[in-house]
Amino acid sequence: MTIDRIGGIALFLLAGYVAFETRVLPLGNHQIPGPGYLPLLLAVVLGFLGVFLIATKKNAPSFRSLKWPEGIHALALVACCFFATFAIEVLGYRVTMLIVLGFLFGVLERMKIWWVLGLTLGLSFGSYYVFNNVLMVILPRGGLGF
Amino acid sequence: MKTTRIHWVVIVLVCLGAMNFLLGKALAEEPYPTRPVQIIVPFPPGGVADLVARPFATALEKHLKQPVVVVNKTGAGGAVGMQSAAVAKPDGYTLMVALSSISVMPEVDALFGRPSTYKLKDFASIALLTADPTILAIKKEAPWKTLADFVADAKKRPNEIKYSSSGVYGTMHVAMEMFAHSAGIKLRHIPTGGGGPALTALLGGHVDCLSGGPNVSIPHIKAGTLRVLANWGDKRLPALPDVATMKELGYKDVEFYIWSGFFAPAATPAGLIKILREATAKAVQIPDFKAAMEKMETPIYYLDAPEFQKFWDSDAERLIKAVRNIGKAQ
Amino acid sequence: MAETLQNLLLGFSTALTAHNFFYAFMGCLIGTMVGVLPGVGPLAGISLLLPSTFGLDPTGGLILLAGVFYGAMYGGSTTSILMRIPGEAASVMTCIDGYAMALKGRAGPALAIAAIGSYVAGTISVVGLMFLAPPLARFALRFGPPEYFSLLALGLLVLGYMTGGSMIKNLAMIILGLLFGMIGIDHMSGYFRFSYGIVALGDGIGVVPVAVGLFGIAEILATAGNPLRPDVLKPKLKDLLPSRQEFRDSIFPIGRGTILGFLIGIIPGSAHIISTFMSYAVERRVSKHPEKFGHGAIEGVAGPESANNAASCGALVPMLALGVPTGPVPAVLLAALMIHGINPGPLFIKEQPTIFWGLVASMYLGNFMLLLLNLPLVGIFINFLRIPYRILYPIILMFCIIGVYAVNTSFVDVGIMSVMGVLGYLLRKFDFETAPVVLGVVLAPIIEMSLRQSLAMSNGAYIIFIQRPISAVFLGASLVMIFLAVKPLVWKRKDWRERLAEAEKKS
Repeated sequence: MTIDRIGGIALFLLAGYVAFETRVLPLGNHQIPGPGYLPLLLAVVLGFLGVFLIATKKNAPSFRSLKWPEGIHALALVACCFFATFAIEVLGYRVTMLIVLGFLFGVLERMKIWWVLGLTLGLSFGSYYVFNNVLMVILPRGGLGF
Repeated sequence: MKTTRIHWVVIVLVCLGAMNFLLGKALAEEPYPTRPVQIIVPFPPGGVADLVARPFATALEKHLKQPVVVVNKTGAGGAVGMQSAAVAKPDGYTLMVALSSISVMPEVDALFGRPSTYKLKDFASIALLTADPTILAIKKEAPWKTLADFVADAKKRPNEIKYSSSGVYGTMHVAMEMFAHSAGIKLRHIPTGGGGPALTALLGGHVDCLSGGPNVSIPHIKAGTLRVLANWGDKRLPALPDVATMKELGYKDVEFYIWSGFFAPAATPAGLIKILREATAKAVQIPDFKAAMEKMETPIYYLDAPEFQKFWDSDAERLIKAVRNIGKAQ
Repeated sequence: MAETLQNLLLGFSTALTAHNFFYAFMGCLIGTMVGVLPGVGPLAGISLLLPSTFGLDPTGGLILLAGVFYGAMYGGSTTSILMRIPGEAASVMTCIDGYAMALKGRAGPALAIAAIGSYVAGTISVVGLMFLAPPLARFALRFGPPEYFSLLALGLLVLGYMTGGSMIKNLAMIILGLLFGMIGIDHMSGYFRFSYGIVALGDGIGVVPVAVGLFGIAEILATAGNPLRPDVLKPKLKDLLPSRQEFRDSIFPIGRGTILGFLIGIIPGSAHIISTFMSYAVERRVSKHPEKFGHGAIEGVAGPESANNAASCGALVPMLALGVPTGPVPAVLLAALMIHGINPGPLFIKEQPTIFWGLVASMYLGNFMLLLLNLPLVGIFINFLRIPYRILYPIILMFCIIGVYAVNTSFVDVGIMSVMGVLGYLLRKFDFETAPVVLGVVLAPIIEMSLRQSLAMSNGAYIIFIQRPISAVFLGASLVMIFLAVKPLVWKRKDWRERLAEAEKKS
């Protein structure tokens, strides 16, 4: 099971999904293409490419040879990103950053507590001040007014 | 040493942070407004709404005594920004300047059978700021000398004359279709991604005409590259006194304005709306603001909330009828 | 010629007045800062400064805003080279070879060549603007939907053929990008596509969250926890300047990048990023060592960086000569002029010589100022690399979030960035290139709309693409490209791609 084969399968599935989603859009015809025309065309081409990749004889590294040493860190970072996405307008920019940076510095990197507090508070509130008040880039305030 | 340097950076950051924290806490409950006010503009910077909102924000600042910041929230022909203003906290700190297309979007949603992103009654009107009628612009080399020539030609070859617009169901599209329906002609619609590209398409000769706002076309009219056949307004424009209105030329039900209005979320308390109405009334008197708008060829056309509501209702009726006539474009 | 020089002298006398000089400096400074910040591009900077220009005279205001515009192209390369995060969408190509050079300890030369290339490109482009503005602008206006479509089709073919790695995988990535670009409202019919009722997706997913996510977030995802993180070689002072060989290698890429960027920039509606992609592809093809690309080839930095500076200058040509905006940033510049009552149009250069020539002169000055600003800053920015990575990556994450959120004040953009970050990480693991996805997202709306507009113009007749001369030329070139790509299948001799693959295997 090479990585190319997995990539090919993923592309083929994606192509199928896109083709399925275009069913509600009018296709139009070759003369006047509708909104569904080009996505469907691209999905078909993508499907073919996926099949090529699955069937290719090139020597690609096998899936098992992939190493994921940064996996846990990456997962935690992804969780932080999604948390920030949903929290930034609910909790406000500063509170969100406090939580995210505190988590990253304190839990993931395990730095000393004073470093964590200093960096987290400083970066969250400092960046808010620079961007919101000095540069007039409005960052959201959440339910707590923060 | 490396550690000491980072030490200093951290100390500076903490001080900045503490400053902001303390400032935030120091402001107790005071009369409105006590912090910067946001005006959402659902269109990209440099567009009509943006060009009106920015000088207006500067003028408002003088009376509200707080910074008034324009925030562009673009998307989906304006729907993204309008929806965010509709659901914003009604505390008077989030307001909106929007164009006449606000009346069109819910109708388009209904046409496509999808739930509308907002309803007209989600907004409380504060004031009307400008009301530019659109004009029919053609290239100077075009064969038509008057609107009658144009209509006659269109009747001879239906669906041949091309016009560009800023997007399907946008202001330029609805205006042209309103006229086409009234004149009984069929024109071919070439949508583009915005007002700028639509004008570029006309200048490059890729389309034959368009119905657009006067402010962006006037420089080209003065330079002689474009001509104007008609005006969608009630009265002739002072900048183009020789251009007859559609009504004068016999199309009595054709009236279209790209107007810009100042809105707040509907649930905003009446007291705050009153303050905003008064501030706006004073702002439109400020000579700097008036001069800035005149320089842009978008003169101020101010109506306070009750008159604006009447104007908006009748205009919305016309637009909704026009959209229904267009139907599903493709 | 003599008249031009006279006008230029007039321009310099305007530009060298104390306050105009100051505005140029402020503009360049702010532009550099805006460029350095990931995600936030010149459009945001200019929109922020727009209210402040109301009180200035039109010349000063335009000088200030234009300074932000081309200044941002200088700053954008900084984060691209140091952290593999595009400072703004057009700097995506610099991330690839620029960061590879930084890993080898050659970050200083990369930054220096980027600055020098940008200066040369900017200055030559201003010369082009000065002499050729009106005729070039008139030519640019003849580009209609059929021409755009043919040009972009050619561009995609050029890219697919010239970029490295498996052609099938690259093609798949471009198509993926195109599909992403089709999310949102369809401007031709009003239907919402793939947006699942989320209004914010209604306008599509935007190139900034995609670029920052695929490059910036994916980079920290891949490196943050990695114990094998290659320790960035701390450069010494003499390593800060490019070697003689690197200078020699960069001359032609800078020249080619300038011409390519300028020509693509003058076309209304094209994006800067296309010029950087084309420049990278061209450099790769003409280089004698194509296998070095992706691993730290200086040409991969010199070419794209020159191209995007030349493109930003080229974008001003139709705006100044005809009053036609080529993109959102020139549109705001036009608005700034209109607010002062100046109406840009075909007669602008004749009627407002002070403003036009003042701007031209200040662009010469501005480019030089930026060179002086950026070269010493190389030494300062390098120190950024000294911060231990465990403190650096949360700061990078914070800046990415601010940068992406600030573009449209929308948390949905932050979400898109996160999803793209995960996607970019997985794509790297599975050996797919991420740059073509960004290109696809940028091109999708233009290419689809051009195709359907062209067919609407001709009422369904495909012949319109051949009837119009410029479009026919591009289509002809596309056929030549396809022929070149298919040739190895027919001729048995190895072509350059296979020679390249062999060279890569040996190295």
